[in-house]
Amino acid sequence: MSLKRRFYLLFVLVLMMGLVAPAVNGTVMAQDPKTLTLAFGAGDIPTIDPSTATDTTSVQVTLMTFFPLVRSNEENPSENFPGLAESWSLSEDGMVWTFKIRSNIPWVKWDGSAVVEVKDANGATMMVTAKDVEYGAKRLIDPRTASDYAYVPVDSLKLKGAGEFNSFAAPEGKDFTDPAVLEELNKLRDAVGIKAVDDTTLQVETTEKIGFALGIFGMWNWVALPQAVIEEFGDLWTEPGNAVSYGPFVVSEWKHDESMTLVKNPFWAGIENSPAPAIDSITFKFLDTSPAFSEYEAGTMDMVGVPLSELDRVKADPAMSKELFIGPNFCTYYYGFNVTKAPFDDARVRRAFSMAVDRQDIVDNVTKGGQIPARWFSRPGLAAAPTPEDSPELGIGFDVEGAKKELQAYLDEKGMTIDQLPPITLMMNQVEGHIKIGEAIQAMWKENLGVDVQLSAQEWGVFLDTLNQDPPQVWRLGWCLDYADADNFLKGVFRSTSGNNHTMWKNAEYDKIVDEAGAETDNAKRLEMYRQAEELLVKTDAAIIPIYWYTTVSVTKPNVVRTYSLSGHEYYEKWDKK
Amino acid sequence: MAETARSTTHSKEAVPISLTETETQKSQGLWMEAFKRLRRNRMALVGLGIISVIVFCALFAEVVAPYPYDAQIRKDNNAIPAWLPTFFPTVKPKGVEGGYATVSDRYLLGADALGRDLFSRIIHGTRVSLAVALVGPLTSLLIGIILGSLAGFYGGWVDNLIMRIVDLMYAFPALLLIILMMAFFRSSFSQSEPGTLAFALNKVDSAFGGMLFIFIGIGIASWENMARLARGQTLSVKVRDFVLAAESIGMKKRAILMRHVMPNILGPLIVAETLAIPAYISTEAFLSFIGLGVNPPTPSWGSMIAVGAQGIRSFPNQAIFPALALALTMFAFNFLGDGLRDALDPRMRGVD
Amino acid sequence: MAAYIGRRIIGMIVVLFAVSVVTFLLMHAIPGGPFDSEKKLPPEIIDNLKEKYNLDAPLIEQYTNYIGGIVIPHIERGKITPSQQSDYLIIIDLGNQTYFKWINFGPTYKSKTRSVNDIFREQFPVSAQLGVWALLIALCIGLPLGTLAALNRNKPIDYMAMGVAITGVSVPVIVLGPILIWMFGVNLRLFPVTGWGTPANVVMPAFALGFASSALIARLTRASLLEVLSEDYIRTARAKGLGERVVITIHALKNSLIPVVTVIGPLFAALVTGTFVTETIFGIPGMGRYFVTSITNRDYPVIMGTVLLYAMLLVIANVLVDITYAWLDPRIRYT
Repeated sequence: MSLKRRFYLLFVLVLMMGLVAPAVNGTVMAQDPKTLTLAFGAGDIPTIDPSTATDTTSVQVTLMTFFPLVRSNEENPSENFPGLAESWSLSEDGMVWTFKIRSNIPWVKWDGSAVVEVKDANGATMMVTAKDVEYGAKRLIDPRTASDYAYVPVDSLKLKGAGEFNSFAAPEGKDFTDPAVLEELNKLRDAVGIKAVDDTTLQVETTEKIGFALGIFGMWNWVALPQAVIEEFGDLWTEPGNAVSYGPFVVSEWKHDESMTLVKNPFWAGIENSPAPAIDSITFKFLDTSPAFSEYEAGTMDMVGVPLSELDRVKADPAMSKELFIGPNFCTYYYGFNVTKAPFDDARVRRAFSMAVDRQDIVDNVTKGGQIPARWFSRPGLAAAPTPEDSPELGIGFDVEGAKKELQAYLDEKGMTIDQLPPITLMMNQVEGHIKIGEAIQAMWKENLGVDVQLSAQEWGVFLDTLNQDPPQVWRLGWCLDYADADNFLKGVFRSTSGNNHTMWKNAEYDKIVDEAGAETDNAKRLEMYRQAEELLVKTDAAIIPIYWYTTVSVTKPNVVRTYSLSGHEYYEKWDKK
Repeated sequence: MAETARSTTHSKEAVPISLTETETQKSQGLWMEAFKRLRRNRMALVGLGIISVIVFCALFAEVVAPYPYDAQIRKDNNAIPAWLPTFFPTVKPKGVEGGYATVSDRYLLGADALGRDLFSRIIHGTRVSLAVALVGPLTSLLIGIILGSLAGFYGGWVDNLIMRIVDLMYAFPALLLIILMMAFFRSSFSQSEPGTLAFALNKVDSAFGGMLFIFIGIGIASWENMARLARGQTLSVKVRDFVLAAESIGMKKRAILMRHVMPNILGPLIVAETLAIPAYISTEAFLSFIGLGVNPPTPSWGSMIAVGAQGIRSFPNQAIFPALALALTMFAFNFLGDGLRDALDPRMRGVD
Repeated sequence: MAAYIGRRIIGMIVVLFAVSVVTFLLMHAIPGGPFDSEKKLPPEIIDNLKEKYNLDAPLIEQYTNYIGGIVIPHIERGKITPSQQSDYLIIIDLGNQTYFKWINFGPTYKSKTRSVNDIFREQFPVSAQLGVWALLIALCIGLPLGTLAALNRNKPIDYMAMGVAITGVSVPVIVLGPILIWMFGVNLRLFPVTGWGTPANVVMPAFALGFASSALIARLTRASLLEVLSEDYIRTARAKGLGERVVITIHALKNSLIPVVTVIGPLFAALVTGTFVTETIFGIPGMGRYFVTSITNRDYPVIMGTVLLYAMLLVIANVLVDITYAWLDPRIRYT
């Protein structure tokens, strides 16, 4: 190789390295601000638009940047505080809600270096009004938004006119830009029972009495939205720079697939249960639990969830055991039966399989995160849901003898032995945690009943499709709250008409109870009704096996002053750093 | 290597080019002589020995393993043997400050998160992992050699068509195919009637943790390197004297392909496929990592590694021992592959 | 040469077309749809979503729409909206409020605000940088290791070099990544555990990724160099009395690179489009994740986009490989 050529090669190499060298981040951190670094799961946040947010991370951000009409108490989610509405009243017939919207909350935006108030053409600060809330709520229902959560106002709240508006489809060959179609759509839109009477008064009209309506008004999608901005920027209205918001925090940077930073909104003066934030900025990094936990151990994160595989070590570690916190989470882990498939077309077999599951063993040795063995479906702590304290004997639990008896009764009647049972498949999505629980329960059924069950682990999309098309004999799912009421669990999932009811189980008595409980406003009466419903669901008919109620397991650095939310979303405006 | 399913199809091992010099002779003599040379290669014999042990473990796992692979003692979850902290000082047994690991000498290498013996699971895991190591490569070898030699031998539009398909296969989204096959084979467990073909196939498949057909699928999706190699070999073989001679005595093209070309290109292809085996085993680990792995509770090295790596700081034994088993197997296949290549290399003849 | 490259470009278009058809059919064949979730949506809402993304049209129409969006340029009058800016990869202002818009890979169903082009624009460069570094590391380790092994055939150095190489193949990134993080990120705190943007962020992931590929290169180099060393022209060179070093560096090594270059083509395409495991373990905002998550989410336009991008890079890399052949071995000519 000639000298010249060698130089040439060297030159090319240097050039290549220059091209590919990652840009050096030259910014220097200012000293004083209080910052928090936290982790969201791997992958980009799907959206921070309240109308279309569905997952925990999206909802967390929208709750920080927008503020719902009503704000639940994070330590007791069934209790409600005033939010964007400072007060409310309900009409005599229980179907018209009137909200008094606060008049002193300004729209703000991130201008590239600071949070500023949004001014109108005359230079006056723009305030959040009842009209903005009307727009926001109607946008949730609008078929053009195609929001997943439109079903809540339509099906749960029975909001007047919502169903007609949401299910409106353009005639064949036309779309929503067609003037005639648009006119018809606008007519339906105007007929929806949400109305801004003036700048501070909002009326919401339902077609039925709904006992848990306040829980729904506390959801992240009952917020004010900036119509002008959304119409100008379309889908991109949530990007920092475009977005305007009004909650305690403002999104200042969104590095897609990497991180999101929120800074405090200095114009958020603070209201009951939502003070002006003490933390100046919060960065969420999009990381898997394992790398996030490593960051925490390296001292570069303030709070993270603890991966199951590290939990033993954390519990024993002298320092980290003090930083560990296990709090409830409003979700239920359960197995469902397809009640039309043998041998689970008989309640005795279903009860036997349910009683043969040692929930305490699973919680102690498999999941380990202080989960609570579940005797029924609706998570205690939800409004009107039974609790182990008031209903210690309710539902179903581990009972080997009982299980054997039930199964034997079935076998005797059919005149068969255990080996003659049809082959049984338990299906789940292929996630390590679910597989471990499945393997443990498979072993329990073998130990306690002598039944061999085949496990089938499926890819998530395939699994969901199977559940929708032809549910297998036994399958796993979990359910987490949308609003903190037993209605969301018992009626929302297992009423015979629910799309989430994959058991094929239909019981008219159950439907009647949950319907009546939904319209009742006295929580003591509702609790009694839900007890009856639970008894039907998990014991008499045993359509599902409740396994455990979730917890969240996290570690927090000792210099962080925090509250512990039970609702699945943190109220960071209450946090501080020493 | 072979981190994603799509990259497995491209990270094939060595393509030894020069094995084209195969000379005119009866293939049996060639193989005998090769075997003699192989016997003289010590490292290759070590590799062969290790592979034999692994095959033995796979065949007689029930006898070799001290416990069944799915026997759980859930109280012993994550138990470690007493000797482990000596080699991994970061693992703290219960009793010392910050100690978190249950010590139990019931388990040679420790127990997993459900209290199942790790050693027994590694032994049983040889079944899936060996199946993975053999089924995929055999499938791709079979397809690759047929299509590659056809392309090289006939040339023209046949060559053109096959090579365009090869180009397509390079970018083929194998992951989609895997999910499709998994959906098919794992959802029809309870649906097929005993006695039908579907039932029999499912039985076979579930014995391999639902991975058998997945790996046939991967083989189907990754024959392109084999085809390219086979084509190149065929191109050089078909202009050699013995092929020309066969042509001149009026032998039919198909007969020439079957009798003279195929046997003479097989050696290098087998070697290349041996060297590609590690990529297939890593693919299995990758599939477990993204949640498409072996069906529980069947153990496989890949899934044990993927699961154990999550907790490698707390319980390194759960990832490291299956990884060691994997590494040992890869060493063995590599030595054997190298030995085979040397043995089949005609220019090495008479060297030793 | 020009004719040759022209032919290859036509070939590339044919291959990309075939890849798009196969991918399209496969992704619609697998069970499950983009709007399935743990909480089942009511049919009206699914209908709204399908309407929004044109998924209620017949498959063939969906396919032609999709390909049309990429291939057919649009020339339109009127203001460019912010979302169009992110939809089209190429927008040229023709003046007079008329715009030439080309290459729209479609929306993503998962993210409400981004398009597939956004992912290409923002995530692909990250993966590409990491991939190039990993490849450089792989070459820097692999080539010397392979050469050393070949020159010391069947001696301890050979076994050691090959031992290192095989270890590289045997320790998957799934294991190597957490070990690196544990040792250098958490204990020694030499490098940041996760993230992207500083040179320090590159070190661990590039090494983890490169080490595995270095094994492949080392093995290939060794095998190929051994071949070349027994060729006639090397013997001739030696016979001419040239020094051993000259023989090896000028004659042998260069010629032995052909099989190495052959695998570098596809390897390059695989590395620069990102790798799921490395990006997940080291929290890197690259594109590799999308190859897997797009499939698990049934995010059809992202599946198509990532597969097509990969296919294109692969074909281009292979053309470059063929051109490199000619430089490495002057006997090879393309016409």
